[in-house]
Amino acid sequence: MNPKISRKRATALLSWATALLLGTAPALAGGAQETAVQGRKTQVEARPAAVPARAFAYDAKRESVLEGTVVGYTVGGQIAPTGAHAAVRTRSGDVDVHLGPASYLQANHFSLAAGEQVRFVGVNAVVNGKGVFLARIAQKGNQVVAIRSPRGSLLAKGAARLLTEAERAQMKQQGGAR
Amino acid sequence: MNAPSETTVSRISIVLALFAAACGGAGGNNGGPPPPPPKFTNASLSGQYAFSMSGTELCAGQGSLFARIGTFTADGHGNITNGLEDLNICTGTEILQFAGGRYSIDADGRGSLTLTNSTGTTNYSISLVSSAQGTVAQTDATVTASGTFQRQNPASFSNPAIAGGYVFDFKGVEVVGTSVDPASIIGRFDADGAGAIVNGLYDSNIAGTLSGQQTFPTGTFYGMDTNGDGTAFGRGTANIAGRNFAFYVVDATRIKFIGTDFPSELLGEAFAQQNIAFNDSSLAGDYAFLIDGLNSGSPIATSGRFTADRVGNIANVIADENHNGAVTLLPVGTVTGAAYAVDTNGFGGGLLQWTDTTAGTFSFIFYLISPTQAVLQETDSGIVSDGMFTAQTATPITAASMAGDYAFVWTGVNSSGDETDFAGQLTLDSSGGFSGLLDSNRFATTTSTQVFNALINGNLTLSGNGLGANTFNVTEVSPADTFHFTAYIVDQNRIFVVCTDTNRVLSGTLTRQP
Repeated sequence: MNPKISRKRATALLSWATALLLGTAPALAGGAQETAVQGRKTQVEARPAAVPARAFAYDAKRESVLEGTVVGYTVGGQIAPTGAHAAVRTRSGDVDVHLGPASYLQANHFSLAAGEQVRFVGVNAVVNGKGVFLARIAQKGNQVVAIRSPRGSLLAKGAARLLTEAERAQMKQQGGAR
Repeated sequence: MNAPSETTVSRISIVLALFAAACGGAGGNNGGPPPPPPKFTNASLSGQYAFSMSGTELCAGQGSLFARIGTFTADGHGNITNGLEDLNICTGTEILQFAGGRYSIDADGRGSLTLTNSTGTTNYSISLVSSAQGTVAQTDATVTASGTFQRQNPASFSNPAIAGGYVFDFKGVEVVGTSVDPASIIGRFDADGAGAIVNGLYDSNIAGTLSGQQTFPTGTFYGMDTNGDGTAFGRGTANIAGRNFAFYVVDATRIKFIGTDFPSELLGEAFAQQNIAFNDSSLAGDYAFLIDGLNSGSPIATSGRFTADRVGNIANVIADENHNGAVTLLPVGTVTGAAYAVDTNGFGGGLLQWTDTTAGTFSFIFYLISPTQAVLQETDSGIVSDGMFTAQTATPITAASMAGDYAFVWTGVNSSGDETDFAGQLTLDSSGGFSGLLDSNRFATTTSTQVFNALINGNLTLSGNGLGANTFNVTEVSPADTFHFTAYIVDQNRIFVVCTDTNRVLSGTLTRQP
């Protein structure tokens, strides 16, 4: 037993493994599967209850609101994370706000310009040693764009999977080689 | 432009004839050896090939994940004569038959491919690894994607041919209600040769939520199509891990799958599993790995290597992770708790983890295909990323031993966060320098950019014995760009690469050509 990953071994499985080699495993499948699952459950349960999240993970429990004035807006710059960034002046200083893939913002007719008042919901993170605010919701005036799901997943590539039946039919009718 | 006169044509003919004679060309008789035949020609792509690829399509003005798998028949003369494909796109799933198509293969194995179905023609750049397999990138203005293709063995287009253990790896998105979440599902099953599946086990990671090992729910099956598509194209359907799929058989050892539970989208492959009872001693020696996926919807790619000792200990962990431009080069601090455990049930599943005292804990689940290969799924920090690990060669790696021709495919995102796919070919010399050509498709909802025949050069610089992190820098001449990769050598035939630039995420594989 490896002491570094604490787990209980299910010794009764040896006979099943033999059966597998002899080609009789299917007849034993139900019992073997149950035991196999128990083996893995034991292992998974034995792992640390929660692997410590690394610095970049989006933790929805740490969400906050950021308000300020746009002092810069870049699309496709050299800074991580990839995507659009806004430099926002807040009462506590300038903050780098990550807005996700630029094409998603364009598709939602959302862009920013210096001097505009903005409000974001998101979390603070550290990327390459620098602080960045990962926006989940962006608001400019009355325009609100959801950039991430409530769990923090970027919506950029998945949103079109939620088209209505009518929208799908319309898209299909518009054609184009598939 | 006016047509050339007869006199002009005669003069040109004379000049050409003199030039050919001087060069020992047609009609020449200088005794020199004939030039070597081209390594690849249109004849190199001949027969029936199964392909799979995933990427981004323009849909309702937005970029949207999609997948396609299928088969095409190449006649060896530049024509696609037949084929079928399954699509999972934003408007649903579709099965489309190819009415035709064209292809052209250059001497270096690179080429172009078009596939025509009832909706129109789609365009691809390909790069042959050999006449049996290659890489592919879709190069349409509104669609980019990348993947691989392999020659099919029609003798395996039957239920009895699909028998024994298989290990699978599926990735994509699962849609529940209005939630679209990244998904990775890995596991194994036994096919009984008659359409039934037993001993099915899987681990899913949906947006960072882990299932733990599960048995397949009821309703699991596989079967070749009985409408003629099974025997003609190697197509079938299956229910695996509670999800529905269409599949195309490459041969009895490899099957390509696409999820058909729209609007969810999954793509992956299954590989025949060696028929042994796996345990901790199954893992021994050096392994290289390459995984990619999403974390909180952001792209992530990781490549690295480790050494396993047969009794559950891991050593010599080195890895490069690029999470949306946040680059972590392990080890940062000290690696502790590096260990693995193969499930006691003999099915080949297992756990692998280590902790870097500075970077944090990295944890994985794997299913062994054999003692030298496994599918691998990351399970920490909300990351949904998967791929493979495979045994590294015991033979010394040197620049000279790595010299040769390679086909490659890379995929990822560019600085604007949009998908970019590359396919190409390069030639490594015995000092690590290389030159080659690549095609790329850089997606955008406004104007995607396709670049063809871009000249590249650079260096593969080996570090130490070559089994660790090596430097692989690629300069694209026009449009001018330089890509900084870390290269993990699998063996003399295969190299995993992950980009360490902070303004993009890219990863892929270089595979030696004959």
